[in-house]
Amino acid sequence: MTQVTRSSRWRVWHRWLSLIFGIQMVLWSISGAYMVFFDLDYIHGDHLVQEITQPVPANIQVAPVDEVLAAYPHTQSLTLETLWLNGQQQAVYKLDGHQGEMLLNATTLTTVQLDEAAIEALAKRYYALPDPQISSVVYLTENPPTELNPALLPIWQVNFDDFGNTSLYLSETTGEMLVKRHTFWRGFDIFWMIHIMDYEDRVDIESWWLQAFIIGTFILMITGAVLLVYTISFKRKPQGGAV
Amino acid sequence: MMRFMQWLHRWVSLILIIQVLLWIISAAVFSLMGHHGMSGHQYMRHVHPPILEKTAPVWPLENVRKSYPDADSIVLRSVLGQPQYQIKQEDNWVYLNARDGHIWQTDTELATRLAEASYNGPGEVTDVTAITSTDEVIDWQGNGFRVDFADDLNTRVYVDADSGQIIEHRNTLWVIADWAFRLHFMDYSGERSFNHLLIWSAGLFALWFSLSGLILLLRNIAQGDFNPRRKPTWLEQLQRDQQPIASSCGGGGTCGLCKVTFTGDQIPAITPAERSMLSAAEVQGGLRLACQHRVRPQDEVELANADVATHQLTLVNKRDLTPSLTELTFTAERAIDYAAGQFMQFKIPHKEAALTRHYSMATKPGSNQLVFTVRHMPAPTADLPPGVGSTFLCQLQPGDQVEAIGPFGDFVLSSQPQRKQVFIGGGAGIAPLRALIQAELDASQPRDCVFFYGARNSNELCYTGEFSVAEAVDYTPVLSEPAAGDNWTGPVGFVHTVAEQWLATQDVQTLDVYVCGPPPMLKATMAMLAKAGVPRDNIRFDDFGI
Repeated sequence: MTQVTRSSRWRVWHRWLSLIFGIQMVLWSISGAYMVFFDLDYIHGDHLVQEITQPVPANIQVAPVDEVLAAYPHTQSLTLETLWLNGQQQAVYKLDGHQGEMLLNATTLTTVQLDEAAIEALAKRYYALPDPQISSVVYLTENPPTELNPALLPIWQVNFDDFGNTSLYLSETTGEMLVKRHTFWRGFDIFWMIHIMDYEDRVDIESWWLQAFIIGTFILMITGAVLLVYTISFKRKPQGGAV
Repeated sequence: MMRFMQWLHRWVSLILIIQVLLWIISAAVFSLMGHHGMSGHQYMRHVHPPILEKTAPVWPLENVRKSYPDADSIVLRSVLGQPQYQIKQEDNWVYLNARDGHIWQTDTELATRLAEASYNGPGEVTDVTAITSTDEVIDWQGNGFRVDFADDLNTRVYVDADSGQIIEHRNTLWVIADWAFRLHFMDYSGERSFNHLLIWSAGLFALWFSLSGLILLLRNIAQGDFNPRRKPTWLEQLQRDQQPIASSCGGGGTCGLCKVTFTGDQIPAITPAERSMLSAAEVQGGLRLACQHRVRPQDEVELANADVATHQLTLVNKRDLTPSLTELTFTAERAIDYAAGQFMQFKIPHKEAALTRHYSMATKPGSNQLVFTVRHMPAPTADLPPGVGSTFLCQLQPGDQVEAIGPFGDFVLSSQPQRKQVFIGGGAGIAPLRALIQAELDASQPRDCVFFYGARNSNELCYTGEFSVAEAVDYTPVLSEPAAGDNWTGPVGFVHTVAEQWLATQDVQTLDVYVCGPPPMLKATMAMLAKAGVPRDNIRFDDFGI
C-alpha cells in the first residue's frame, strides 16, 4: 500500500525544466525535421547547375607548357580546358600558384579578363533549369551576404528570377562557378543556425550555451522517462464483474 | 483534447525516448569534440605543391591531347616533385606520369612518402597495407594503401594509388565521432546520410512529441502553474492544512483518490479528468477531485469522510496468528468511529521521509481497541530489503506509539436486505473480511454469510475457530499446497475455483460479493466473478497491496 508522492516532485521538475529547455527541444525537432526531410543534394542545389566544360577541339593550337611556365614560373598547377567566351568555346589555361589564380588564352597566352557580360553568359550556361532569367549581376568586393564565405571575395553574384531565387557565385579570375544558393539552402542554413545555436557565424558547435542546453535537455528527458515509468506502470483497478 | 495530448505525449515518448537520449548524447559528443576534433585531421599537414618549373614534364601536352581527344580538362601538377597529368573524361579521371606518358603508378614506397608528407604528428610509419576499399572511407574504392602511424591517436592515412593523392586521415577520435554520427543520423551504414525512411519516421515522431509537449506546457502556463503566487488547488490546500486526503498520482488527475464534495452554490464545472474518474451520480452529487480545482473564496468543500482524523495509537498486544501473520492490538487516545472494512493510513518513519501504509481494521467497530493483522514481507531475495512497513510495525513493542490517519475506504457492507453475503479472501485479506463478517453477525437480522478463505497450508489458517462456530457463516477454508502432516480433508486448490463451483449453484443476482486478498488472487477472482455473471454493482473489493 505504497503511496507514490514522489511522482509529483518529478512532475514539478519536468514542468520547470521544460519551461527553460522545452522551447529549444521544439526548435531542435522542427529544424531537425526540415534538414532530414529535404534531400541534401536538393539543398545543395545540384539540380540547378550542370557541367559546362567541353573537350578542346583538336584543331586548336595551344602554346606548349614550357612557354607557360617560362612566363609564369611560380605556377603550381596548370589546367587546359575550354571556357565560353564571346559566344564561343575558347581554349584557356588556368594557372594556380604563388601568383594567385590566372586565366590565359591558351593560344596567345594573353590574360583573359572577364567582364559582366562574360560572367552573365557563363552563368546562363551553368544554369540547368529551362529558360534562365537573370535578375541581376553584382560584383561583390565587401560585405558578403551571410550565405557566402567572405574568403571567396571578390566574386560575381548572379541572381536568377526563379522559384528558388537562385544565386550563382562565379570566380572573378577563372569564371568558375564556386557557390550556388537557393531558397531551400537558405532555409536549411537558418535551421542549422537554430540547431547548433550559433546565431552569428553559424559554425560554432562548441559554445557553452549549446552544451548547457544539451545537459538541461538530458535532465528534462530523464525526468520525463521517470514519469513515464510512474504513469505507464500505474496499475489500473481490476475491472471485474458483469456489467 | 488535452487528455489526448497527454496520451500522445506519453506513448510517443515511450517509443522515442531511447532515440532522443541518443540524439542528446551524440550531440554532446559533437559539441565537446568540435569540428576539428571530429575531422581526424589532428596530424594532417597542409601540403604546398612544388612549383612546376622545377619538374617540367618531358612528355608533351600535345601528346596527351592526341591520346585523349575527349578530355574535358587536362591538369598538370606535381606529386612530390614528380609531374603528373590528370585527365578528366566525363566523370572519369585518368592519371599519367608526365615524364613518360605512362599510367601513373604508386608503389608502397611512394605511398609511404606521400603519407609522411601529409603527416606532422609524432609517430613513425608502422605498417603499409595495400587495400581496395575500407569501411573508414565509405565512398572510396579502387587501388590504394593504408599507412599506419604509431601515435597517441592511432593515425592511419589512406592513399589512392591511381592518382597518388591522399584520400583521408583517420584516427581514434574520428571513430568516436563517426559513431556519434551513426547514432545522430540513425544511419549505421557509415554513409552519414540523414535522408532515409528511419530518420524521417523518427523526425515525425519527434515533431509530434515536442509539439504535444509544447501544447501541454502552454496549458500549464495558461493555468498559472508556474506562477509562484497562484492559488493552490484544493488538494494542495487540504494537504497544507494537514487535512486527511488521499492521493497517489500527486495531482495529475489520474488516480481519482482525492474526492471531495462541493456544497456551495457555485459548484465548479467538471474537467476531463473528472469525466473519466467520477461516475455520473458522483458528479451530480457535487463530488469533484480536489486536485482539479483552485481554491476560490466562494467554495465550500467537505471531505469525503468528516470523521477522518490523525490518531496516536499505542500498541497493547502483539501475537503471531500464523508464521506470516501477526495480530497487533492498539488503543487510541480517543474513540475512532469507523465502519467494518475500512482502513487506517499508518505513518512509517523511513530514513528522512515518512512512508504511508494502509492496514484494515480486523474487528467490528465498537470497542476502544483497534486490531490489525500485518503480513511479514520477508526480503524477496538476499539483496533486497524486507517490507519497510511490516518490519517497522512488527518490531513495535507494547507501549510504543505510532501515528495513523483514518478511517478511510468504501469497502463496507451493502444495505441490500435480501442478499446472501459472500466473502472471498486470502492471506492478509482476512482483516477487513473478518470485520465485515463480525459486523454482519452483529446486526439485528443477520443475512446469510458464505466465506471462502484461501491459504497455502493449514499452518497459514487463522481465526478458524471463530468462523467455524458461527452458525450464520458457511465457512470454507481452501488450501493450495496442504502439507503432508495436515491430514487435510477439505477442498484443495485456488480459492476462486472453489468459490466458482459454489457460485454455479446460486442465483448470482441475489448475492453481494466482497473480495480481498493478494493481487493475483484478487485479479483471478474478479475475472471469475465476471465470467460467472455476478453484476458489477454487487461486487466490492479492497485492492490492498496497490
